[in-house]
Amino acid sequence: MKIVVCVKQVAVLGDEVEFTADARDVDPDYLDFALNEWDSYATEEALRIQEGLGGEGDEVVVVSVGDAQVEVAMRRCLAMGADRAIRVDYSRPADPITVARLLAPVAQRESPDLVFCGVQSSDAVQAATGTALAELLGLPRVAVVTRIEWDPSAGRATVRRELEGGLLDLTEVDTPALLTIQTGINQPRYANLRAIKQAEQKQIEVVSPAEQGEPAYRVRRMFAPPKGEGAQILAGGPADIARRIREIVEERLK
Amino acid sequence: MNGTLVVAEHLRGELRELTRELVTAAQQLSGPVTVAVIARDPSVFDVSFQGVDEIVNLPLGQEEFENDVYQTALEALIADRQPQAVLLGFTVNSMGYGPAVAAKLALGFASDVHGLAVEGEAVIATRSFYGGKVDAELEFPAERPVLLLVRPTAFAPAADGGNASATEFTVELPSARARHLEFEEAATGDVDITTADFLLSVGRGIGDKEAIPQFEQLADKLGAVLSVSRPLVDAGWMPNARQVGQSGKTVKPKVYLALGISGAVQHLAGMKTSETIIAVNTDPEAAIFNVAHFGAVADLFDVAAELEKLS
Amino acid sequence: MTPTRSTFAGLSTWEIVFWYFLIAVSTAVFVWGVARLVLKYRRGRGPFSFDRPLTRLRRAAIVVLTHSWIKRRDPVAGAGHFLIFYGFLVLFAGTVILGFQDDFAKPVLGWDFFRNEFYKGYSLFLDVFGAALIAGLAIMAYKRGIQKPFRLRYWRPDRAENEDGRRLYVIGDWAFLGILFFLALTGFLLASIPFTKAVHMLASPASVASRDEQAGKELAPIPADAKPDEVGYGTILDFPARYLVQLDACTKCGKCHAACPATNSGYPLSPRDLILDLREVAEGALGLRHELHVEPLRDPHASILGDPIRPETLWSCMQCMACVEICPVGIEHVPIINQMRRRLVERGEMDATLQQTLESIYETGNSFGEARRKRARWTRELDFDVKDIRKEPAEVLWFVGDYASFDPRNQLVTQTLARVLRHAGVDFGILYDAERNAGCDVRRVGEEGLFNHLREENVAAISNCTFERILTWDPHSFHTLRNEYGAFDVDWDVVHHSQFLLELVADGRLSPKKPLDYRITYHDPCTLGRYNGVYDEPRQLLAAIGTELVEMPRSRDNSFCCGAGGGRIWMTELKRDDSPRPSEQRIDEAVALGGIDHFVVCCPKDVTMYEDAIKTSGHQGEIELRELTELVWESLDLSLPVAAGDRGGEEEHA
Repeated sequence: MKIVVCVKQVAVLGDEVEFTADARDVDPDYLDFALNEWDSYATEEALRIQEGLGGEGDEVVVVSVGDAQVEVAMRRCLAMGADRAIRVDYSRPADPITVARLLAPVAQRESPDLVFCGVQSSDAVQAATGTALAELLGLPRVAVVTRIEWDPSAGRATVRRELEGGLLDLTEVDTPALLTIQTGINQPRYANLRAIKQAEQKQIEVVSPAEQGEPAYRVRRMFAPPKGEGAQILAGGPADIARRIREIVEERLK
Repeated sequence: MNGTLVVAEHLRGELRELTRELVTAAQQLSGPVTVAVIARDPSVFDVSFQGVDEIVNLPLGQEEFENDVYQTALEALIADRQPQAVLLGFTVNSMGYGPAVAAKLALGFASDVHGLAVEGEAVIATRSFYGGKVDAELEFPAERPVLLLVRPTAFAPAADGGNASATEFTVELPSARARHLEFEEAATGDVDITTADFLLSVGRGIGDKEAIPQFEQLADKLGAVLSVSRPLVDAGWMPNARQVGQSGKTVKPKVYLALGISGAVQHLAGMKTSETIIAVNTDPEAAIFNVAHFGAVADLFDVAAELEKLS
Repeated sequence: MTPTRSTFAGLSTWEIVFWYFLIAVSTAVFVWGVARLVLKYRRGRGPFSFDRPLTRLRRAAIVVLTHSWIKRRDPVAGAGHFLIFYGFLVLFAGTVILGFQDDFAKPVLGWDFFRNEFYKGYSLFLDVFGAALIAGLAIMAYKRGIQKPFRLRYWRPDRAENEDGRRLYVIGDWAFLGILFFLALTGFLLASIPFTKAVHMLASPASVASRDEQAGKELAPIPADAKPDEVGYGTILDFPARYLVQLDACTKCGKCHAACPATNSGYPLSPRDLILDLREVAEGALGLRHELHVEPLRDPHASILGDPIRPETLWSCMQCMACVEICPVGIEHVPIINQMRRRLVERGEMDATLQQTLESIYETGNSFGEARRKRARWTRELDFDVKDIRKEPAEVLWFVGDYASFDPRNQLVTQTLARVLRHAGVDFGILYDAERNAGCDVRRVGEEGLFNHLREENVAAISNCTFERILTWDPHSFHTLRNEYGAFDVDWDVVHHSQFLLELVADGRLSPKKPLDYRITYHDPCTLGRYNGVYDEPRQLLAAIGTELVEMPRSRDNSFCCGAGGGRIWMTELKRDDSPRPSEQRIDEAVALGGIDHFVVCCPKDVTMYEDAIKTSGHQGEIELRELTELVWESLDLSLPVAAGDRGGEEEHA
């Protein structure tokens, strides 16, 4: 039984930004990196399913697209308990369809029983890679899943899809399938540094990228968004701010 | 390629306001605007808004959304119409099939688009990157349609009063590999945050679930109702009924006071139409400040303590 | 008649023989008991290390014979025990002498010394010490039965109200006293030693002798190849022999219980009860009770985490070392708690807030989760540039620390210190983005792997720099850089700003112009005071700038922790009731001194905790917090602008 989990190392921008010379991206000096929050839930879910079914030779394989830097995020997944990791070597920023095209051959090769992606990444927030990947793999799919009950022998799973307003859609999906995992589905376990260091001993397989075709978009220009014209700054210390807030509230609630 | 194909967004028999917004979005592009209604009985939805040139009704054999069915339906429509652009809403349903269509047909693609323009023949879309802190203009492959998922509330809703006529379009639809079984309502909580005039909303910034009683107390003193952003519900500290955001409730109170909320896209979607938004966050670049009317870069606990004193 | 002790007067021969038989049995039982204890200790993990045996034995002898540890903070009890100890010792010696006389000297050597002057002196001596013994026991009985100080009450903070509050111990204490006489009469006193409270006569000196001076201050590393069930302590078998001895050494004096900030603030932790619980496990799993099948029995391989040691008990600890500091028999509660935390961390069992903080520290290198670039943002308020020591050499490498860099109130202190250093002409630089959390609290939380990681990164950054000394105003960073980076072969001269500023004043590089007329009290930070013995320099500095220092009742080695240490500031609140927090109690203590202008601290976490506590304890307006640097700056009386930012009325005057 094999579950492939596609993970992304996301970029975190602080409160200052400078752009690259061609103004198409943020200067990397201003970025910190982390494992995408949704992907830690996805990895945890895969591990729980594997632990629940408890068979011999079951594997959780994490796959990612990026340069060597992203291996830091992948090692966190290995430290949590994933068995293997594969990186598609690719260093340019990529749209979700391109990423899906890069992931597809690797996932295909693994012949997984389930493929998990996070619903979205916290930096790009496209919420598209998973669904696009499912199409390229020819897999049935459900996006935005908050609960999974999988019966491998019956070849189907009952999942809960989370719609707007908290409405839940109970869905039956044929497996193998691809599911995009939503936050709150579980509590991701802590990967302690000892485990992460030991994961550093594990080889991460690096594969060259497949043909990607034309990207789905190109960034023409990246810029700081214009501030909402009404964002009036309340100045002063906490006491002044609180006073102003009280005034505003009283006035608006009249 | 001609015009823009808008796919109407509906859920459980109700047409979503988002559909009107998509029509407005379509008007930023060139060519006729066609609204496709994919539903069991498309005729129950009136989509003849101003700006709609044509309506296509595509009946299904089923009531509820199933992504394989909608995918085939849209692919057929695209093949038939050859539009320049296809607009879906950035909704959970559309996430389930939009990107699949784009991958299958190698279309241009972007989601959470909040700006649209056309330059000559080319569609230019604007969306945010890096957690909503920067914006970018995107260009798409020439000679291919582009499929976009549009951010709710980014465009004004189109008004009634159009006079488009509807035609029917039938397609042989597959049996779905992911099948709807039944709905489960979100648990109703003790309080309906959508009816409150004044919401005090807290996010990850409060740090610890132990801090919640303190904010419940503050809300009480201020005469507000306490609501939260998604991470607090994920962590199990508050019920979903208190959540403001796309997967929670959409609220439009007179005053929305956000403490320690960064302003993730799906949260903003749930509150940005509030009459007055006041945000307090230590990060001056937090996306919430883009929608707030008043902002303070300060520690939320300090401000909360002062508010408590004033009450 | 010659004055002598007539042994066995009036007893018939068979009675005398029976007596010796009882003694023989008693001795045999004693030997068996001690052997069983030793066997129990040998079940402990790893070899029994006893380095520098002569030094240790000498130190132990001094401590035991002078009672230097026992008499601390309760001289009356110390005197009581002194009397019991020497009374017992002398009576025992007296019996041995008599036995020697009767059973060896007289019959074998024909030497009868036990008479006349010798006997009179001996008799008087023994009477005096016998009376001393009784007096000592009376003092102890008074303490436990009438005075009942907090430390001797068996109420447990870590159990619910109606759970057994150690009734058996109470019974045991009084029974011991009563039975003591009975046993003495029957000659079974010796036999009883391994089975009763009296075992401390053996275990306590052993504990004192084997005590690690660096206990809690420098924690033991985890071997790189350790398997998950070798990380930290999860079962009683994971405890090294030394600690098993320490568990038996505890005499339930309760001094740790009285000193512990967690115990005194409604947290589910008492160091005393932790040790006693562990002792009960050891006894029930490996010891005499186990041998004799006396309930409750335990499986030595069973996990102790959860039952009887609850995770919230372990997480309540502030690692302040008040317990280790005061324990008269040298028990090392802090490293024991730390080892159990290591096992919890290995298993991922910690509250979500702590998990998040640790993940943040790994991702960003700081406990605030802030972007790395923001670390030196505090320097922007200064009207001069701070040297980047990665690029240029400097005399002093200033390791700023997380709270001092990122927390707004603490940034004010950091900025003030920068101005003071510049004014004094000190050549200093900072690491800017390359600095990482020093790792002190990460280590104390039990995440040893993350500590190693941070250490590696800090050492790599610092080693590339050219400097002579490392300065910090954060005692946690001070402690760990000074004492816990040794594995990396670094030879740094690390100094705390209280020491450094004092040097500057002594050198004349800083000249306090204006003696400050404040009546102040000074709070010794745990990691500066108990951990590193730095008590005098801050006081000398405060004297040099002219303040009037009034000591709080609990000062120096008895300082009362602010409650932030041991990673607690990163964790969910564990207090079970409405008792004032440790920091609030401390402010109460300061205000009670009367007329105190300023509560003086020199640790960033103290700044944070006490600014908050002054407000929440209802004493706002009665007392103000000042960090040491801020007072020094004030005394320099320079007409230069102070840091921007609203301090709500507590304006520094230039």
